[in-house]
Amino acid sequence: MKVSGSYLITVAQQRAYELLQDPVVLGKAMPGCDTLERVGEHEYRMKMKMVMASISGLFDGKVRIADLQPHSSFRLIVEGSGKIGFMKGDGLLHLIPAEGGTNVQYEGNVEVGGTIAAVGQRLLDTTARMMIKRFFEKLSAEAAVSATSSPAAKI
Amino acid sequence: MATITSKPETLVGKRIRRREDPRLITGTATYLDDLKLPGMHHACVVRSPHAAARIKNINVKPALELPGVVAVFTGADVKEVGPVPCAAGLPGLRVPHHHILAQDRVYLVGHPVAVVVATDRYIAADAADLVEVDYQELPAVADPEKALAPGAPAVHPQWPDNVAFTFHQEGGDTAKAFQDAEVVVKQRITSQRLIPTAMETRGVVADWKAGEKSMTLWSSTQVPHLLRTLLAGMLGMPENRLRVITPEVGGAFGSKLNVYAEEALMAFISMRIGKPVKWVESRRENFLCTIHGRGHVDYFELAAMRDGTILGMKLKLIQDLGAFLQLLTPAIPTLSVLMMPGLYKFKNISADIVGAFTNCTPTDAYRGAGRPEATHGIERMVDILAAELKMDPAQIRLKNFVDNDAFPFVTATGLAYDSGNYALPLNTALAEVDYASLRREQQQARQQGKLMGVGISAYGEICAIGPSPATPAGGWESATVKIEPSGKVTVLTGTSPHGQGEETTFAQITADELGVDIDDVLVIHGDTSIVQYGIGTFGSRNTAIGGTALYYALQELKTKIKKFGAVLLDVDEVTLVGGVCVDEKSGRSVSFNQVAAAAYRALKLPPNTEPGLVATHFWEPPNFTFPFGAHIVVTDVDRETGQVSVRRYVAVDDCGKIINPLIVAGQVHGGVAQGLGQALWEQAVYADNGQLLSGELTDYALPRAHMMPWIESSHTITPSPVNPLGVKGVGEAGTIGCSPAVVNSVVDALSPLGVRHIDMPLTPEKIWKLIQEGRA
Amino acid sequence: MIPQNFEYSAPATLQEALQLISGGECKVMAGGMSLIPLMKLRLAAPEHVVDLGRVPGLNSISESGGVVCIGATATHHDIESSPVIRGRVPLLAEAASHIGDVQVRNRGTLGGSIAHADPAADYPASLLALEAKVRLVSANSDRTVEAADFFLDPFTTAVESGEIVLEVLVPIEEPREGYRYEKVPHPASGFAVVGVAARIKKAGGKTTLARIGVTGTGPRAFRALAAEKLLESGADVATAAAAVAEGQETNADLYASAEYRRHLTRVWAARALTLALSRAS
Repeated sequence: MKVSGSYLITVAQQRAYELLQDPVVLGKAMPGCDTLERVGEHEYRMKMKMVMASISGLFDGKVRIADLQPHSSFRLIVEGSGKIGFMKGDGLLHLIPAEGGTNVQYEGNVEVGGTIAAVGQRLLDTTARMMIKRFFEKLSAEAAVSATSSPAAKI
Repeated sequence: MATITSKPETLVGKRIRRREDPRLITGTATYLDDLKLPGMHHACVVRSPHAAARIKNINVKPALELPGVVAVFTGADVKEVGPVPCAAGLPGLRVPHHHILAQDRVYLVGHPVAVVVATDRYIAADAADLVEVDYQELPAVADPEKALAPGAPAVHPQWPDNVAFTFHQEGGDTAKAFQDAEVVVKQRITSQRLIPTAMETRGVVADWKAGEKSMTLWSSTQVPHLLRTLLAGMLGMPENRLRVITPEVGGAFGSKLNVYAEEALMAFISMRIGKPVKWVESRRENFLCTIHGRGHVDYFELAAMRDGTILGMKLKLIQDLGAFLQLLTPAIPTLSVLMMPGLYKFKNISADIVGAFTNCTPTDAYRGAGRPEATHGIERMVDILAAELKMDPAQIRLKNFVDNDAFPFVTATGLAYDSGNYALPLNTALAEVDYASLRREQQQARQQGKLMGVGISAYGEICAIGPSPATPAGGWESATVKIEPSGKVTVLTGTSPHGQGEETTFAQITADELGVDIDDVLVIHGDTSIVQYGIGTFGSRNTAIGGTALYYALQELKTKIKKFGAVLLDVDEVTLVGGVCVDEKSGRSVSFNQVAAAAYRALKLPPNTEPGLVATHFWEPPNFTFPFGAHIVVTDVDRETGQVSVRRYVAVDDCGKIINPLIVAGQVHGGVAQGLGQALWEQAVYADNGQLLSGELTDYALPRAHMMPWIESSHTITPSPVNPLGVKGVGEAGTIGCSPAVVNSVVDALSPLGVRHIDMPLTPEKIWKLIQEGRA
Repeated sequence: MIPQNFEYSAPATLQEALQLISGGECKVMAGGMSLIPLMKLRLAAPEHVVDLGRVPGLNSISESGGVVCIGATATHHDIESSPVIRGRVPLLAEAASHIGDVQVRNRGTLGGSIAHADPAADYPASLLALEAKVRLVSANSDRTVEAADFFLDPFTTAVESGEIVLEVLVPIEEPREGYRYEKVPHPASGFAVVGVAARIKKAGGKTTLARIGVTGTGPRAFRALAAEKLLESGADVATAAAAVAEGQETNADLYASAEYRRHLTRVWAARALTLALSRAS
């Protein structure tokens, strides 16, 4: 499933780039993320609990950042699997300076498997978009916080 | 001596209510999941969520630690069991070794990788969730044409081209036919993957008795005896120590004409744990692990003269096989080739099949099994030709039908059509819909901008499968008739009916032949320890072959009854009238019950005659039977939304002689429902990564009662000369006749917009887009 | 098709129910038509299910002060067949008759359906068009929210942890107004690929009030405010219908792409509005 879109984050390009690669920020922004633990250069292990209405599932996953082009683009690869299935998102993010902040344009592919793919087909598209929206909303909120406090104080 | 009571009328041909129905509709029948054995354990299968992956590690410890779990088995434990058999043989066929549990690699979503055994099914399911499988995902391919393209991921690494087999058949001189042709039409036509979706999913109970060294295995199957033979081989146990019982089977449609991994797996488990074990498939598993049907991509070419005479046909058939070959997987497309000329007399065909492996569920026999694809192809192509030549689709068919005096008609594919009058059902259907006025109405509708279509299909099918040389495991059928000392009659049939109604039709035949009350006849099937060997139920064969075996067993018994009657009346010869043996000269008679009692009491035996009244007959058919018919469908298409509605459905079927019109009507209705399902709604959709997206009934659109049109069903009757009953078979006719009639109708509706073909299912969006394009 | 173990409570009073759920970690069940299939698929695995089915009076349907009060556990069948609803808010009865099949309508409830908030459920379109309110209670709170503020996201509502839907309050339709619920059911699930609820009031041949609720089209049910305004300012049905899905995020699935869904929304909005207009007097 292809996903694409854009979101305005109210910080400058470089700051947006840093935020998007900050594990603490990512951990807070990823919907359902419980823990995000560094396992290598630009690679993290993640535990997620996805809850949507009655549906819930624990996922064990990986977050990887690749093809870094500071501060204009990078690839974000998120993988998770659990009892109810697995998902894999691979997206290219472009950061473009815009009025009022940075426009983050994303384009990528989401794959799902297992029970969630087989019985949730009707809702996959809607859900994927909602998750992405929540991610950027959280990220924006983090950006707003970071704008008023120094990054060092947060970590 | 008793007075003569002759039975006033015969039961064959009467609308008799199905004798099996009361128990089925009152919930008192015993299905597999109703079975409860002392000490029975429950199994739950752990399945791959990936379409292709290497298994790096399986950790069963967390599952074993759950209280109530008694065992967990993985591929290593069952390496020596099996493989799951493919009985179809084709030259050069590549048969992947099909282990009952994955070894080091999985090939499709749903591939079994481990099995958990526990004291109850809840614990088993919980424990299955605790088995940790570490997969390394591999690239997968889910589309047969993509699988055949260079560079596609190899489903089986040892065969990088994904080709399981190629098969060529030709008859006549196709090259010349195409040279001589004044017009050639070509079309790519698909028959999408379908999920059979029997109401009852599969299930197995295995009960190993170590002391007796014998196994009883209950399975929801269409072929108990074949299952016994093949399963004994898979398990390495003597066939006579394995008893297979089919309890009530809640539908199958070909999906239970198979031997599945779980049948061997449950037998293996029961032997290992020394306890009975049950496994019942969930609907999710049913969608992933029970065979699918269809899965064709066909490239057709039809050569003809300008006057509509068809000269020849070419076909390139790509069959999506899935990841493994189940019992008959590669044989199904060969049936399509056999039936590709349909009802038409042209004698030149050339066909090439490529069987392609994909990382999907194996395809195999589903209602019609190869013939719906063939009929859809020829009947679409004839309509495309008619459109090209601006001929009426009814006229072009009538022009090309095999002539009535040509039977037995040998086709270009080597079949001998037994009997037919192909114009009769079509003309009957045309009269029934008042074709001329329907076309006038269509003209008016078009002038008002409405999209109304009339679609015709004239189908032929190959039934009563089949003569033994044409089948992988024998094509005969068996029957035993036992007249008990009290005069009650027990019929043991080698067929395994599961909805076809033979407990009724076979009782009708028996009651008529013996002259007994139908309530005195009991038909038993589906227990290999009770019933003599049989082949089973598929290919619309029960009545034509199993019924004929029964007929001949009854003739043997009648001869013996008359011998006993003569002895009892102390005459040389008697006649058997309505169950009563009569001495024509004196008018004296002896009743059926008296004969039965005397045959077992055995005080006075006829010369060279043994006591008892039991006869068994194994009947080998000399040929298939070839039912035919015509369906006409009137549709309206909503120009704004693309929604199709079926306004009229007229089916005129010729299945030879009819034993029970009520049961035949049920078969036609059910068949048409599944044909409409394929034409309008159903499709198994795989994502490129091999995930089945239509994985549950929330997305896979089965026809519901409220979606069905009124079916105007009638029959012409052309008896088959192949069997003494004159029957041909009707189990699959509705499905085969339906889908091309519906598609032809909708294409006809859209033809003013320049539409020539639409692939199934005819979803509203697909049609809406065509309407948009047609407008532009 | 085997759920995980769970604890099951069937409280006999509302107070008891609210006490039970005040702790959080439990799932409230009404008719179970959404929850139970998810549990059987193990997509949902609540440790504790609190069944509201035995709370007396929670399924009552009554009318007072120009409002019809529908208890959370009133079934779809109750709603489609209730004389009060058929007489006072016939749009809702019409919507209820389109839900699932007979079996589902006999078990499924209004409260359960809206709390589940499937983006393709039938009720939300009508509740938005009717400007209904939802009363939510917990052990220590009691509040009422507008339908428009209730449906937030797919499967996400204004219901907070510890709260349940107590009842839905629907202002009665005027007898002279026209109404219609039109739906394109998914051939497999029966859910609304698109569902449009319309209400129209006319005076002197002019449309004085238009209310349009849409379900199935987007990630949550919405009111087509722009289209309503167009109708109220004299635009024709086609113009208004074309505005219904404008600017809305659109769902896509195997059955209907976003483009086709938008088109269906326009077509069925026009059909619903035309019928509602013809019923208005």
